[in-house]
Amino acid sequence: MSRLAEIPIRIEPQAKAGGLGGGVTAILHEIVRLLERLATVDERAAIDLRSLPMSPQDRTELQRALGEGEVLATLNAEGISKIHETRVPGVWWVEHRDQAGELIAELIEVTRVPEILASASDEIAAGARALREQITTGAAARAR
Amino acid sequence: MAHRNEDLTVGEMLRRHGISRRGFIKFCTAAASAMALPPLMGPAMAEQLRNVRRPSVVYLSFQECTGCLESLTRSFAPTIESLIFDVISLDYNDTLMAASGEAAEAARTQAMHDNFGKYVLVVDGSVPTGAGGGYCTAGGKSAEDILREAAKGAAAIVCVGTCAAFGGIPFADPNPTQAWPVTGIVGDKPIINVSGCPPIPEVITGTLLQFVSTGKVPDLDEHRRPKVFFGNTIHDRCYRRPFFDEGKFAKSFDDEGARNGWCLYELGCKGPTTYNACATLKWNGGTSFPIESGHGCLGCSEPGFWDKGSFYSALSNPAWGKAGEASPSEVLKLAGGAAVAGVAIGAASAAVSRMRQHRQEEQAVDNDPKGG
Repeated sequence: MSRLAEIPIRIEPQAKAGGLGGGVTAILHEIVRLLERLATVDERAAIDLRSLPMSPQDRTELQRALGEGEVLATLNAEGISKIHETRVPGVWWVEHRDQAGELIAELIEVTRVPEILASASDEIAAGARALREQITTGAAARAR
Repeated sequence: MAHRNEDLTVGEMLRRHGISRRGFIKFCTAAASAMALPPLMGPAMAEQLRNVRRPSVVYLSFQECTGCLESLTRSFAPTIESLIFDVISLDYNDTLMAASGEAAEAARTQAMHDNFGKYVLVVDGSVPTGAGGGYCTAGGKSAEDILREAAKGAAAIVCVGTCAAFGGIPFADPNPTQAWPVTGIVGDKPIINVSGCPPIPEVITGTLLQFVSTGKVPDLDEHRRPKVFFGNTIHDRCYRRPFFDEGKFAKSFDDEGARNGWCLYELGCKGPTTYNACATLKWNGGTSFPIESGHGCLGCSEPGFWDKGSFYSALSNPAWGKAGEASPSEVLKLAGGAAVAGVAIGAASAAVSRMRQHRQEEQAVDNDPKGG
């Protein structure tokens, strides 16, 4: 046995890992409050998970509490983002990664659909122009 | 006529680089998260930025170690590439730019002339005024003259690092080069201090991005630091805080408490008096921060941190805090007398700390059942 392997490694017990402790329940209460606002006055909101001192256990506990719903979207723009609706309708777990795969933002969005998924008006108009041009060019090519 | 790059809006520049609106929203969401702004600000910031012209940025390096620039180039969100190519027009940085010598100096002069009153001046390093300015010169001009000239046309000055913000290590007693922070030289411009030795990369890029997207100086604390990053102490947001509250402290770097990840307060952690975002943003793309690696905070983003005595004496030790509570100019006034006394106190406290450590080591040996 090498000397390095002789160094004992102790796994941290979960209770001693610091983090939010009872904070996960507080986040869930906050989500309930935000959902009520969404349902009554249609107000969107988000919680930035990276701003909270969460331990890996807290994160797992929160994920378990919210579960996974029916929608899973993958966005491929400057890196992969995963956007899924949790088991609670209107609660979306948004995970943005950069091109190197590093997590750059992680949010819980309380909304009907996250804004980043919707197409923008100026892009829709530009898309229509481009498609019209494509049809015209194609027709001209066929005529030749 | 084709647009020059510097005339393009951020949105046009993004399209030119094939970056989609969604990609940019994502970039801004990450930046908003890094800046601790409300999370839905990301899309709003993206929309604002898409319509503004990329501002010219002139980055001057004076008496510094380039650690701050090393830090800046490792920013994950936003990355330095995306910031330089898409959001700002970095017109002068003597380390990063391809040009050198007279061509580089001409680029600086041209950018300052073309964007007079509008460019952002970034300063890295303190400004030595001793020896007639001879300790730091470029193109035959002293750092002080270059700074004064560049400050004239700047919309705002961003001091990157503790040296530019508070004088830093060159400013530490006995300050042999008579170094000053930027605030000691320039008094009539909005100045934003992004302190740290080095600052967190995302704090540098985030501060620039926030200024560019809003055109306004953010809310600052009494040391002119953006409150979004420097509003809380390291201790406020430290994951070891529950152990502090429970009174569980590591007594040495290799004891049971240290292995259990207990609070490092008694080992000299300066987290309770240090305002910075290390505990939330962390370093190296959010990997960890010094306390997570088992070492206390040094307090590097606070004024006079180098003159406050041992990094390993607990904050309750009276030696800590004297220099730090004074403004840079007050510290400089003290430099001839009290700061020297401070160093003496620091040396004494370091000796006490070493004795204490030594005693603990002896105790550990005594307690070792194998006899030691």
